Amino acid sequence: MPISEQGYSHWQGTFVERRWPWWPITRLGIRLAFKRKFFKFIFSVALGPAMLFSAGVYVSERLEDFQSMLRGPSRFLEVNPAYFKSYFTNEPMLFMMVIVLVLAGAGLICDDLKYNSLQLYFSRPLRKRDYFFGKMFTLFFFLFLMTLIPGLLFVLLKIIFAGSFKFLAEYPWLPLSVIAFSILITLFFAFYTLLISSLSKNRRYVSILLFLVYVFSDMFFGIFYGIFHNPYFSLLSIRGNILQVGAFFFRVKAPFSVPWIYSFLVLAAFCVVSGLVLKKKIRGVEVIK
Amino acid sequence: MNIELRDIRFNYGKITALDGVDLALGEGACGLLGPNGAGKSTLLRILLGFLRPARGEGRVLGYDIQKEQFSIRRFVGYMPEDECLIPGMDAVTFTSYFGEMSGMPRQEAMKRAHDVLFYVGLGEARYRLLETYSAGMKQRLKLAQALVHDPKLLFLDEPTSNLDPQGRNEILDLIKDISSKKDIQVLISSHILTDIEYTCSFVVILNKGRVAAQGDINALKEIQFSLYEVKTKGENEGFLKTLKDKGCRLEETEDRMMKIYLPANLPRHEIFRAAAEENVQIRYFVKSRTSLEDLFAKTVGVD
Repeated sequence: MPISEQGYSHWQGTFVERRWPWWPITRLGIRLAFKRKFFKFIFSVALGPAMLFSAGVYVSERLEDFQSMLRGPSRFLEVNPAYFKSYFTNEPMLFMMVIVLVLAGAGLICDDLKYNSLQLYFSRPLRKRDYFFGKMFTLFFFLFLMTLIPGLLFVLLKIIFAGSFKFLAEYPWLPLSVIAFSILITLFFAFYTLLISSLSKNRRYVSILLFLVYVFSDMFFGIFYGIFHNPYFSLLSIRGNILQVGAFFFRVKAPFSVPWIYSFLVLAAFCVVSGLVLKKKIRGVEVIK
Repeated sequence: MNIELRDIRFNYGKITALDGVDLALGEGACGLLGPNGAGKSTLLRILLGFLRPARGEGRVLGYDIQKEQFSIRRFVGYMPEDECLIPGMDAVTFTSYFGEMSGMPRQEAMKRAHDVLFYVGLGEARYRLLETYSAGMKQRLKLAQALVHDPKLLFLDEPTSNLDPQGRNEILDLIKDISSKKDIQVLISSHILTDIEYTCSFVVILNKGRVAAQGDINALKEIQFSLYEVKTKGENEGFLKTLKDKGCRLEETEDRMMKIYLPANLPRHEIFRAAAEENVQIRYFVKSRTSLEDLFAKTVGVD
């Protein structure tokens, strides 16, 4: 009998209790992002800095071999905490992160609001926190591939190319800094994206907003700093705050004479406020209108 | 009983949305009716465990509505009124995804998604992007995602909204098939009374947060009142006033035909007595079948 004539049949299986109920949401988010060819291209470009810095680690161990190709001081090829800091906080890298967030994260909540999918999610045995974790870990996946994984890879490559643990003995705290700072900026950008994604039902507006808030925060800092010459205006800038906190985590000189903790508190406060707004915006009870 | 509620009260601030709601629903299809603001949505929210009643207790499929909401949602299928989809997905992935969200193992959810999509008539279109679906197809898709985990109880919110007559009939036939042959109890919230009459044998009518009527539709129509269609000759004014005074509800149709809703305690010969008193000839007198519309109008007090 063809399947179309079989009609409805009962399912004989048993339900499973998932340890991570958010995992299907994360998997779907990743899958939907990679379905778009443009995203694949952009994401591969976004991994460019990681490739470049990996090559830098190699070159730093083979300076003599590359002497003829190098012009100027070779100090920038010294793999030290400043090298890591410049990887994590360089402008093209942060910009690429924002572009990836625009492409992979703008629709995460906004599309669910637009197409009423929340009703389908919350009419199932799913907690609100599992929904958020699912969406957040989608962003974690992409951001960790740009931060945590390359950061740890640099450490590993340095050890392999040097053939000794001297680097690790010199900076034993560096892997922890890489992990902590990766988690911090990933967490911040994940909250940043989810917050803005929940503010509109239009993915285009969300994309523009994600981009503009990042760019304008830096622009406002530049304008105010230019007028008042007060470094505390760096607290207005997303990038400025990341630079400040990054300088602390990698024990290098901060770019602005503002205590790093202020920048850290600004980023943390943003995450808390985002969490509260998201909690208010996404309500299971709205499932039935 | 699949749904049992006792003395449920719920307030939104100072506004009482439900007050003293008692329900007992067993097998089969049940229609949930009521004008806007009657408390239908609040009742569905309470049944799915989204709202905690201020008073009363209840069980859905044997699970406590205040403590075991997750178990309820696992065994209940919900088809929302609004258009629901996830852009960029096809029907198979979409349906299996929500099967997984309900707790089905991934592979079984995928297999089941195919079966359910064939059942609702989307078999051929199951690999198409959801954005390209017509309104009727989206409606079927919503039904498929509600059925994928083989629920014991199905909540359908306006299942035929935005459908053309043919699409509407097809969805209604599916609902009838599910409720009559598949051991799945269906609770349909709808404004379209003919849909309820076609698919359900049981009805709950809510009005101003209270259960105005509940029971077997045919029995309710008999109990609540009798309807007669009457044509008369002569001056009707006094005749109509007398009937109104006796508690009848009257409706005049275009061809001078009158519909007289007789209260349960009033015998039909009172119509003839009133006609005799007012010197009106009765030229046509037929006991009419009451429709659900008549019952609804009578119960909630609207024309």
